[in-house]
Amino acid sequence: MSLSRPGDAAAFRVADQLAGKEPWEVFGERIRRYEIHLNGGKIEITRGPIALEGYGVRVFRSHDGVTGIGHQASNDFSPEGIREALSDAERGARHASFPSPDVVLPTGHGATGGIVEVLDRGLWEYPMDSLDAFVSALQTAFEGRKQSSLSFGSVRATLSETSICNSSGLRTGYGHTTVDLEVGVKAFGGPEGPAPGEYWVNDSDRRLRPAELGLRVTEWCRYAEDVRRGGPPPTGEMAVVVPPSVLAGILPTVFGGRFTGSARIRQVAPTSGTRLGAEIATIRDDGRIPWAPMSSPVDDEGVPQRRRTLLDHGAVSEILYDSLHAGTFRTNSTGSGFRGLSSGFRTWFRFLRPPLVGPSTITLDPGEGGTDAELVEAARDGIWVQQIGWSSPDPLTGAFGGEIRLAYRIRNGKLAESIRGGTVGGVALAHEGSPSLMTRLEAIGSRVGFSEPVLSPPVLVRPLAVAGE
Amino acid sequence: MGELSGAEDPLYRAVARLAQRGPFVEVLAEAATGLSVRFDGHTTSFQSPARLRGAVFRAWTGSGWAEVSVSGLDTDSLRFAEGAIERALAHRPARESPPGVSSTTRLEKSTPTPRPMREMGEEELGSLARDVFSWTNGIPDIRETQVQLSWRENERLYLNSAAARCYQAICRVRGAVLPIAMENGRVESGRFIHGGVGGREILDALTQESSRRAAEDARNLLRAKEPPAGKLTVLLAPSVTGYFAHESLGHGAEADQFVRDRSYLKPILGQQVGPEILTIVDNGAYPGAWSEIYCDDEGHPAQRTVLVDHGRFIGALHDRDTAAALGALPTGNSRRSDFLSRSFVRMTNTYVEPGDSTFEELVKEARYGVMLESGTGGIEDPQGGQIQLKARMGHLIENGQVTDVVSSMALSGRVLEFLASIRGVSGREDFVLDASSCGKGRTDLLPNSAGGPYLLATAVVGRA
Repeated sequence: MSLSRPGDAAAFRVADQLAGKEPWEVFGERIRRYEIHLNGGKIEITRGPIALEGYGVRVFRSHDGVTGIGHQASNDFSPEGIREALSDAERGARHASFPSPDVVLPTGHGATGGIVEVLDRGLWEYPMDSLDAFVSALQTAFEGRKQSSLSFGSVRATLSETSICNSSGLRTGYGHTTVDLEVGVKAFGGPEGPAPGEYWVNDSDRRLRPAELGLRVTEWCRYAEDVRRGGPPPTGEMAVVVPPSVLAGILPTVFGGRFTGSARIRQVAPTSGTRLGAEIATIRDDGRIPWAPMSSPVDDEGVPQRRRTLLDHGAVSEILYDSLHAGTFRTNSTGSGFRGLSSGFRTWFRFLRPPLVGPSTITLDPGEGGTDAELVEAARDGIWVQQIGWSSPDPLTGAFGGEIRLAYRIRNGKLAESIRGGTVGGVALAHEGSPSLMTRLEAIGSRVGFSEPVLSPPVLVRPLAVAGE
Repeated sequence: MGELSGAEDPLYRAVARLAQRGPFVEVLAEAATGLSVRFDGHTTSFQSPARLRGAVFRAWTGSGWAEVSVSGLDTDSLRFAEGAIERALAHRPARESPPGVSSTTRLEKSTPTPRPMREMGEEELGSLARDVFSWTNGIPDIRETQVQLSWRENERLYLNSAAARCYQAICRVRGAVLPIAMENGRVESGRFIHGGVGGREILDALTQESSRRAAEDARNLLRAKEPPAGKLTVLLAPSVTGYFAHESLGHGAEADQFVRDRSYLKPILGQQVGPEILTIVDNGAYPGAWSEIYCDDEGHPAQRTVLVDHGRFIGALHDRDTAAALGALPTGNSRRSDFLSRSFVRMTNTYVEPGDSTFEELVKEARYGVMLESGTGGIEDPQGGQIQLKARMGHLIENGQVTDVVSSMALSGRVLEFLASIRGVSGREDFVLDASSCGKGRTDLLPNSAGGPYLLATAVVGRA
């Protein structure tokens, strides 16, 4: 698929036909998706191209000191279809209200988003061939393994052209690719051993990386074997090492719930300077990390993404705004208006829903905790949690927790036997003066790893609550 | 027919043409209408379902199923889909019919209701949301209440080359009240959610009493104790019982996991797995339930499938492929999230049937333990036979009495051990079905419902 000529982009085609009142905004997407689903090591179904082109129209109407916002999405680009979508949005705006007298939309002048690497050229030009090659590499990586195999899997590549324009003169767009990989790896021992165990991989990336599969599959197989052999954890409060793969399921939700303009309207956002974390904790929101799925030159309102400091050495620094909430507080958007946040799926159907304010990629600055082995040594006695079934953090209360899918016991400063089952949990982010994962950070590792949507080293938390037999 | 009127003839002709090139072709077309309102005292917002229509064609080729989705029902879109399927059939001609039973069902049904939601516009829906909001006004500690009211009518038209024609228009209505309490910086929330298939009568369940009870939950959580941890006697409230049914025997009995040889339940089909008092059912034909469907996305009628009958595991959920592979019949459980997504074997309304104990008897029987209330979700491991359930709050059970409120918890354990530990199920008066959603893996969300009465068992519980 070649990139559209600028005038052909979905949003621009709609904008050229809008004769309604200002202000308005159009977000367009032209999407092609390709999927390969695996049953065991065999291809179960190949799908694609799944073609979808659509747009979301948002209108802003001031009345009685507030702004009514209406939104409608459609895939009908005919003049009648656009009129109907606009009419729906106008009707919604008449009855809606948002506590801001007006809204300032980005003009596209001044600072631009610049280049952020979010497009896999090979995948863009040869999507099905690239996907076939990736799946072939995945199958090859499992060949000859006697104790483990692919249980199921899917690879879904989405090629998107995003275009945004508004009545303030903004016209921008970019192409990007996303690859969602879901794999179950099964480990099975001899007839005398425990029942088979399965390790699940859910990975979102901007590009296909078949060359890395060999090493990754070896690691997944080891994890699956450890799941199979794992026993229950002890019960009690203990030192827990939490790697980025687990933090990824916790930090974006709890920081997204409290560090935003919408939380500020609801009076649940922390005030600047409030101490919510340990002195060693510096948390940022960074929408410009190369190849990160949340990265893009601009947010979904067309405002350049930036790097923002949310927690500076444990103290609240900034919170995030989109254009709407920035208007309420007479400040500037931080480039944090994103579509699809409420559905949890950012790669597909973004045009269906209006933007919400939320984080991009959450990062934790590396600390002086050293290597993984040094963190384990510092923990002395506790567990290393490799995977939680579903940590389901509560954006308001900050509580999180779930079943341990894989962990390792730490004994005498060394990793010991694997753990499967039981629970681990607590409060990730609490109010000032109350203990939480963020205040109980004892050490932060020195080497960062990426686990979408978090870039972070492993951290040592003391204590967290663990429950087992 | 509503939004899909006008599309049937061209779809029928496309299927008829493609049927001359292959042994079996089907198409599923979809459109939706509706409205939702969200009001929290600061903002009011309305949202209508996208004006998105499209279809997915599926044909049996020499090497399996070929699928093409198009986001449009206009002539060009349908011609594109037809051409793509033609090329797949030419490239891989089918010599035989597909495995399994092709639907020949002919059905046309829309949600029956005396009070259709279509008659309720923005003004009326917004006014109702403000009324519901006002019911929690003035309650101490309640900082804010979010009210969400929504309805969505989903139309699906299924046609195939075996002469099946199923048109269904299902209207799902849902109301939610979420009061937020705050004290000295601590924030807690309560909730009351009710949904089903029907009309405006569904929203009648939002009452001043249910709203204020949700607000009291939020207030009580401000002063809640931490939950106990370890292996404990647990009393699951109806919503948590529902998550148990859904995550354990529900996902475990989706027969695509049997075919993939990744269900711990496959080898024990026909065996006793729990006590006599335990019966678990999936029922897509449950009238008015949130996940009621009239037929599945392969054109097979929805039905009641007993998974566990008085403790014996006897049934699985099938689509045509899994039924053919395992010598069974389709159970009406082949579902797609939308016309752009593939079909999977999926649950509908999954629940534990009422038993014969009273709530008071179960509390007395528990003696010491914890009651898990207000389920928020769960996750299953079909291979390893483990489940995780989450509850937003609970109460301690001490000396056969319900005592202090405790904060959120996670329950974890092996399903077969949990089943064996079940000691009681309460009666019909406690039975509740929720209105939720479920994914297959991380994606493919669908409306799903789960429920049951109170259930007494033993499990590992920890803070979450």
